[in-house]
Amino acid sequence: MEKRNEHIIVTEKLKKVYSDGGVPVPAVDGIDLTITQGEFSAIVGPSGSGKTTLLNIISGLDSPTEGKVWLNGNLISSMSGNELSDFRRDNIGFIFQAYNLIPVLSVEENIEYIMLLQGVPKEQRRQRVERILEDVGLTGFEDRMPLQLSGGQQQRVAIARAMVSRPALILADEPTANLDSKTGAELLDMMRKLNQDSGITFVFSTHDKMIMERAKRLIILKDGKIVGDENRE
Amino acid sequence: MLSLKIAFRNVFRQKRRTILTALTMFGGFTLSAISIGWGDGTYSNTIDIFTRNRLGHIQIHKKGYLDQPSLYKTIDDYETIGEKIIGINGVEAWAPRLYSAGLASVGEKTAGVRILGIDLNLEEKSTRFSRKIVEGRNFSSATSKEAILGKGLADILKAQIGDEVVIISQAADGSIANELYPIVGLVESGDDMSDRMDFYLTLPEAQELMALNGRVHEIAIIVEKLGNERRLAHQINGMLNKADLDIAPWQEFAKQFYQAMLADEEGMWIMLLVIIIIVAVGVLNTVLMTVLERIREYGLMKAIGTRPLQIIIIIIYEVNIIALASIIAGTILSLPINYLLSFHGVALPFTFTYGGVEFSKYYTQVNVRSFLIPAVTILFTASVVSIFPALKAARIAPTKAMRVH
Repeated sequence: MEKRNEHIIVTEKLKKVYSDGGVPVPAVDGIDLTITQGEFSAIVGPSGSGKTTLLNIISGLDSPTEGKVWLNGNLISSMSGNELSDFRRDNIGFIFQAYNLIPVLSVEENIEYIMLLQGVPKEQRRQRVERILEDVGLTGFEDRMPLQLSGGQQQRVAIARAMVSRPALILADEPTANLDSKTGAELLDMMRKLNQDSGITFVFSTHDKMIMERAKRLIILKDGKIVGDENRE
Repeated sequence: MLSLKIAFRNVFRQKRRTILTALTMFGGFTLSAISIGWGDGTYSNTIDIFTRNRLGHIQIHKKGYLDQPSLYKTIDDYETIGEKIIGINGVEAWAPRLYSAGLASVGEKTAGVRILGIDLNLEEKSTRFSRKIVEGRNFSSATSKEAILGKGLADILKAQIGDEVVIISQAADGSIANELYPIVGLVESGDDMSDRMDFYLTLPEAQELMALNGRVHEIAIIVEKLGNERRLAHQINGMLNKADLDIAPWQEFAKQFYQAMLADEEGMWIMLLVIIIIVAVGVLNTVLMTVLERIREYGLMKAIGTRPLQIIIIIIYEVNIIALASIIAGTILSLPINYLLSFHGVALPFTFTYGGVEFSKYYTQVNVRSFLIPAVTILFTASVVSIFPALKAARIAPTKAMRVH
């Protein structure tokens, strides 16, 4: 119990089995994992190793076939649909590979979307949006629509949205996959700085070398199992 | 507010599709608003011809008279009753009438007739009697010894203006009532059957002939606004407090006609069903396409903490915004059309008779329900039909949705 409260993520004998034409295929195979508050970690491995599935189960976007997941001390594998939605909204920030933004909302509206769901007062929202836009270097872009932004700028907005509601954890699934190396490096450096400044935990799922170089912990997956755990602090 | 904002902006994403959906709803709304207004206009017109021009909106009789008419079932103090009634707010006019049966002869032709004794002035105020005279003239005075015949009756009797007609009946005192009158006018009431039987005399003359001085069989009442007749009949009943009188609105004393009107009104529901089907197909198609197109977006929204119900609300809002815009545009078009047609009507290529009433023009009626019924139907149908695709969107698993390209 202590372990679950000490760590932001705890998984216990986590299993996810998909059925491929009636043949069971284990995507995640008995993973025990703990991640501590403030970590800047990356789950790495080749395609099909189970990185994204593990990330989805940790975030409650997918449910495990077996095993348990605790997030911030809460057993998320037992939560109902609405409880999970609210839990994700209040505790997890997401950055996806692409299509991160709601296309009919402006930069400012996309960033404050989660705060609106949370019922944060208008003035507080405005102040937080202003500050985070400055942090991600998008001051002056408030009224732009997603289609008026470059891929890098869109990812910056996604980072801002993920961070603005001050979640305990940010899960980033291949956040640099669609970006050129210069933009990707800039974004990663920015996320590392935000991690250091705010103490928010970042967990990446990636096979991007740039992320691997910057991550302070590498959790290496192969065939749904952890085959390596490298701490670089 | 956030859901409304997203829904509103979503409306403009696929402009062509939005316009097509809106046109379906707009067409459905406009057609129904005009049709209901038209139906109501015809309905009111028919009722008006039946009641205001002939029967009256409310009738008073001696108890049991309508079930079993009798010369002896009379209202004795009709003038006092009439004075009280005319004082009631909402009552426009009243008219006493005396009825009897008789035989009328002109030359060698004889026909069974319905003798109607009418008060010249009060009948004019109530049913605009003089407007029904198509040949000759009205009675020269309220007590004149003259006869006016229905046009059909005159044809049967081969009678003309200026001819003399002999009427024979049995008076209330048992004596033979017979008299000779000059025919001064012919009447077309709009009801062919009545026009083949009606034989009009002035009320004093009819009372004299039938030995029913100071008595009548019927008091017809005209109300200022059709629709108030039930309430006013109840009010008159309470005011007169006479157990020996039957006071009934037209829906009760002309039951068959009323039921025919109700049956006619049911046609409107069939038309609404057609609109529901048109709108349902249009909306279902649009929303299903939309959900399929935006599946990644809904997946993203769910992933970052949007509840399924909020996604359903966004989709239903979006459909209802299109529906509301269509209703407003439809009202802007159909209101002036209904208004114009309520004055000028549409001439029919041929006249026809319905329930004995002749129609040569259709008029619409401008009322709230002609707009409210299609508006509610469209909003309800659009909301109900969009629930299925909205549920589909709300149930999307974010992990699957975000893999869709």
